[in-house]
Amino acid sequence: MTNTDSVGMAAAVGAVAIGAGRAVAQTGSAALDAAFETLKTYDWGSDRGALNPIDQAIIASHGDAAARKAIEKRLVDALAGGLSRSAQDYVCRKLKVVGTSQSIEALAALLPAQETSHIARYALERIADEKAAEAMRDALPKVSGKLKPGMIGSLGVRRDTKSIKAISGLLGDSDIQVAQAAAQSLGLIGTPAAAKELSAFAQKAPANMKIAAADACLVCAERLLADGEKSEALALYKQLNSGDQPAHVKVAAMKGMLAATTRK
Amino acid sequence: MSAGRRAFLKTTAASVAFPYLIPASAMGNAGAVAPSNRIVMAGIGIGNMGHGDLGSFLGRDDVQYVAVCDVKRDVRDSQVNRVNEKYGNKDCKAYRDFREVMVRGDIDAVHCATPDHWHAIIVIEACRNGKDIYCQKPETKTLREGKLMVDAARRYSRVVSGGSQRVLEDYRGIVDACWGGSKGIVKSINVNVGPLPTDCNKAGEPVPDGLDWDMWLGPAPWAPYHPHRCSGSYNIDGTSWRSFKDYSGGGMTDWGAHHFGGATFAIDVRELEPEEVIFHNENGRKFATCRYPNGKLLHHNYPGRGNLDVESTNETGPSKPVPNYAGTGGIYGDFIDCVKTRGKPFRDIEYAVHTATVCHLFLIAYELERSLKWDTAGQQFINDDEANRLVDVARREPWVI
Repeated sequence: MTNTDSVGMAAAVGAVAIGAGRAVAQTGSAALDAAFETLKTYDWGSDRGALNPIDQAIIASHGDAAARKAIEKRLVDALAGGLSRSAQDYVCRKLKVVGTSQSIEALAALLPAQETSHIARYALERIADEKAAEAMRDALPKVSGKLKPGMIGSLGVRRDTKSIKAISGLLGDSDIQVAQAAAQSLGLIGTPAAAKELSAFAQKAPANMKIAAADACLVCAERLLADGEKSEALALYKQLNSGDQPAHVKVAAMKGMLAATTRK
Repeated sequence: MSAGRRAFLKTTAASVAFPYLIPASAMGNAGAVAPSNRIVMAGIGIGNMGHGDLGSFLGRDDVQYVAVCDVKRDVRDSQVNRVNEKYGNKDCKAYRDFREVMVRGDIDAVHCATPDHWHAIIVIEACRNGKDIYCQKPETKTLREGKLMVDAARRYSRVVSGGSQRVLEDYRGIVDACWGGSKGIVKSINVNVGPLPTDCNKAGEPVPDGLDWDMWLGPAPWAPYHPHRCSGSYNIDGTSWRSFKDYSGGGMTDWGAHHFGGATFAIDVRELEPEEVIFHNENGRKFATCRYPNGKLLHHNYPGRGNLDVESTNETGPSKPVPNYAGTGGIYGDFIDCVKTRGKPFRDIEYAVHTATVCHLFLIAYELERSLKWDTAGQQFINDDEANRLVDVARREPWVI
């Protein structure tokens, strides 16, 4: 960045900005009620500040399980009541932070639609409850090819071992973006079972999947090594260090072999 | 996205017509032999800051650009003409989709100056395709991205440089004083920077002709086009993407990449990550402090303290030489020199990520308005499920990292 703002100017701006960016806490029920009422008609172009009482109520409810559950329920109810895309977007962002098993059914209902699938995952991917993964696993075979890479990716980020079989079945998908997401996610899951699937696929991967398959194998091997699965990691590295892999992949595999063999 | 998907399928499936240059990497990367002894480069995200980066690399005799890529047609058209006019030929090609650039086997290195929400995807894709990369700051958009980027760089032995030239060039006085010992034993340093990013709910407007809006959004949540969303202006006042949470960490990461980078360099903690961020709220005045494993403190907006203001003892501290760029030509020359020698750049991705991590820790502490403990090895917050949800964001399909 080469703009001409001076350090001093930035300092002055920064010093006042933290307080200014946050509305004064308004956790009283009237303000909160008004914000939830606003949510019903909220849309692109609406004043974002009108929802600040909800933001503040979430912050204020940290450590208060009952209050947190109550505000989560209000968000879920709002979602179920029919909202604009912008309002759905807002609610899902909040459920990313406060969502529990209580939210999952409402979020799962948004997964199949192209307009809302991602923003539902935006919350579900980060909710640790197993039911969140289950919702995405259930949705995977039902959603369109365009949405599949996202679902696969979220399951991979969660290292969801229960989805290995379903994801493996998509490695050879004719849609390269689905196939690549499948390879990447198996790499992220990084268990011996995922390694077995990746290893088999890498040996027969078409030209346009070679780099994705090799990279997934390397990522998987690193996860295996970190988890103490040394022999499985070594097997993947050896496989990649042979055949017609690009030089940089072979070098990476060689480094991996060295790391695996020297690891106690 | 459909046009992009079609283009990508076509590209990756088979051949792409482009002038074939033997990459320097194929010749040993030691600057021995390559066409005109140049590093063959591509630029991705070439408006605004990318325009400046392109100019800096383009001015070098040891670099040859063969590709430029941008989702804005007017930008890529003007920049491909700029490159071709410089070389007096038509060899440089323009691309809308960076994946078509990444599969070209004749490119050694890439510079990336897209909006921040794209950085991790592009850096990792460059590494897995065997390319070195110079990435503009702030290098990460989330905490999780940082480790993935460093891992990719190390996995493939790539030269990956972060993009803040100010870390070394703007704060030299305080850096020399700290490293030279005249500042004494350093206890803390303060950085004043802002503002925080905000949500953007601007109403949609017609997408301008020549802009691939879906590709501009990329992994970020869908939103209607508005000129302020995608403006690359340096203002962080709600009129540029740098203002908004989906694309940037606001001033905290934009200017923070410079200031925190300089501060962590000055107090010599650039190889470390903080293990705690302490949130303060004194009568409504909010500020925060990161504490490093060695006890050093990095304050943000500490009341009464100036930017890069160091707190230290009066005694003379230990002295050691200050690291510097390799090669000639500042941070750009440093990157190119390291591409040739396979050295570690001054702003190695790991140092850059550590700086960005500081910014994200502060952002999350302010977002949640509480103190947090950070497990540097596990890359997660300790005993705080809510904070851990903010370590990353789900990416919009088809993007996965």
